[in-house]
Amino acid sequence: MDTTAPWGGTGSQILASYRIKPNDVPNSRMVAKGTFRAHPRRGGYSVEHVDKVCLSLREKYGKCVKMAGLLGRPDMLFVFDASEVERVFRGEDAAPHRPSMPSLMYYKHTLRKDFFGAEKDCGGVIAVHGDSWSAFRTKVSRVALSTGAAAQYTNQVGEVADAFVNRTRETRNKDLETPHDFLNEVHKWSLESLGLIALDTRLGCFESQEGSESQRLIDAVNTFFLCVGELELRAPWWRIYPTTMFKRYVAALDTILSVTLTHVDRALKECEVNGSKSLLQDLVTAAGPRVAAVAALDMFLVGIDTTSNAVASTLYQLSLRPDVQEKLHTEITNVLKDRPLKAGDVNQMPYLKACIKEVLRMYPVVIGNGRQLKKDTVICDYNIPKGTQVIFQHYVMGNSEEYFTNASEFRPERWIQRSNYQHHPFASLPFGFGKRMCLGRRFAELEMHVIICKMVQAFKMEYHHDQLDYHVHPMYTPNGPIRLKLIER
Amino acid sequence: MPSVTFILPDGSKKSYEAAEGETLLNLAHRSDPDLLEGACEGSLACSTCHVIVDSKFYDVVETHNPISDEENDMLDLAFGLTETSRLGCQIKITKDIDGLCVTVPRGTRNISLDK
Repeated sequence: MDTTAPWGGTGSQILASYRIKPNDVPNSRMVAKGTFRAHPRRGGYSVEHVDKVCLSLREKYGKCVKMAGLLGRPDMLFVFDASEVERVFRGEDAAPHRPSMPSLMYYKHTLRKDFFGAEKDCGGVIAVHGDSWSAFRTKVSRVALSTGAAAQYTNQVGEVADAFVNRTRETRNKDLETPHDFLNEVHKWSLESLGLIALDTRLGCFESQEGSESQRLIDAVNTFFLCVGELELRAPWWRIYPTTMFKRYVAALDTILSVTLTHVDRALKECEVNGSKSLLQDLVTAAGPRVAAVAALDMFLVGIDTTSNAVASTLYQLSLRPDVQEKLHTEITNVLKDRPLKAGDVNQMPYLKACIKEVLRMYPVVIGNGRQLKKDTVICDYNIPKGTQVIFQHYVMGNSEEYFTNASEFRPERWIQRSNYQHHPFASLPFGFGKRMCLGRRFAELEMHVIICKMVQAFKMEYHHDQLDYHVHPMYTPNGPIRLKLIER
Repeated sequence: MPSVTFILPDGSKKSYEAAEGETLLNLAHRSDPDLLEGACEGSLACSTCHVIVDSKFYDVVETHNPISDEENDMLDLAFGLTETSRLGCQIKITKDIDGLCVTVPRGTRNISLDK
């Protein structure tokens, strides 16, 4: 057995022959042949290259592999078989349990339980489970996922996208390339868009000033991103004593929460005055101000860097493919004919949607999604005990020839001409599926469609440096400055 | 009131009177909770209210309830997809489709893994 794994280099080992406890499941093999044990040295392993680790695990162990002995975490089962993913999704009950950030659970359920526990079913959707999750989700998803809820933001999201395009145009260097910190600019666009959707507010991220409320929110969200990866993926010392990192993390969450509450109060008053309708006001009307505030908080925690990394990754991939850009430009021009984008237009742009699906197939920003088993379950013929975190390996499955015709090739057409390209529908699910599907999906899609549309309209994008490898950071994203050469169209 | 007939996986039929404008999923839920699952409560996040529309009715259903990209994406994940598959949560019942007949395919309901 190989005793080394590229799990961030040194100090990592694979140990085999870990046994899954036999149970009364007929016809299931009792011993897992594929088991994996990582020994993070002092908890300090890097997860940057976990994408490559997962590919090699699939290579070595087949359809599934057990990860045990991870510091402070339950055992995990990595699943590389799309049909098994389908079975697990189809077997879900009314309140699927999703593994999530222990540090955030601690914040919501221990540190700030006075707030999150004050009203029944008001914990939110992130790091909340069971009936409480289900009741909250139902209240919010009726509003956030209802047909057309996202589309009504087309104009506003379009304005933010226009501002981003203009700023990007101005910040190019003399070679017409985007600056080294282009990803940070995309983060600002994402935060600005979400502020509009979740808080009815133009935060002013592109021209924010020191000390302003917008800047405080931007800083807090940045701090949250910086800390959460460290707290979740390294040794959880914060469970024993409040580390400096943990204190910063809590302060950031407190800031996001308080700014969010301020905006909810304001939106509530405006709603009474002018009766205007927005997601926030719909949520307040449907479920009360606290639910609306907590929903907005959750959107800020998980809706910014996911969307921005997907956009950065898509722009980078397009910059490598002038032919794809030309097709996109033709499609967009044919639909818009020089008029501004309006709600529903993107539905006439199948190639645009397909390009984003294709990027997320090959480079899903979240490389794996999971469920925590609520009962013993047979997966890949093994009896997997209750409590195990089952991780669906979408990066590996999405890039597998077994599930996609010519998987290594970037072919948006596969999502349009279904008959020419075979694919397993459960192999690439960037937003998940079922009752716990990404709650922000329709908004994220709208934001992505609009910004990519506007960038392709404005520029020919080129890339003239060494090709970028991808890394898990903690989103799956190009590793290195995204220096796009943007030539005016 | 428009009437809708459900053909169950075992071949049996059940007919119900729908309120004008309610969804097929809503009708199913209030008529017989075991008829259609609808795990995501009509938020286009799953395909557990998948039904096969009688081909005679498909076009008129489509005219009144055009199929969206979001619904197509979810249908892609439905068990036993056919040419006339739709999601029950996306079909509003109107008097134009009085007598609508849909088949509930075997395997649409979430199955239990440990059976």
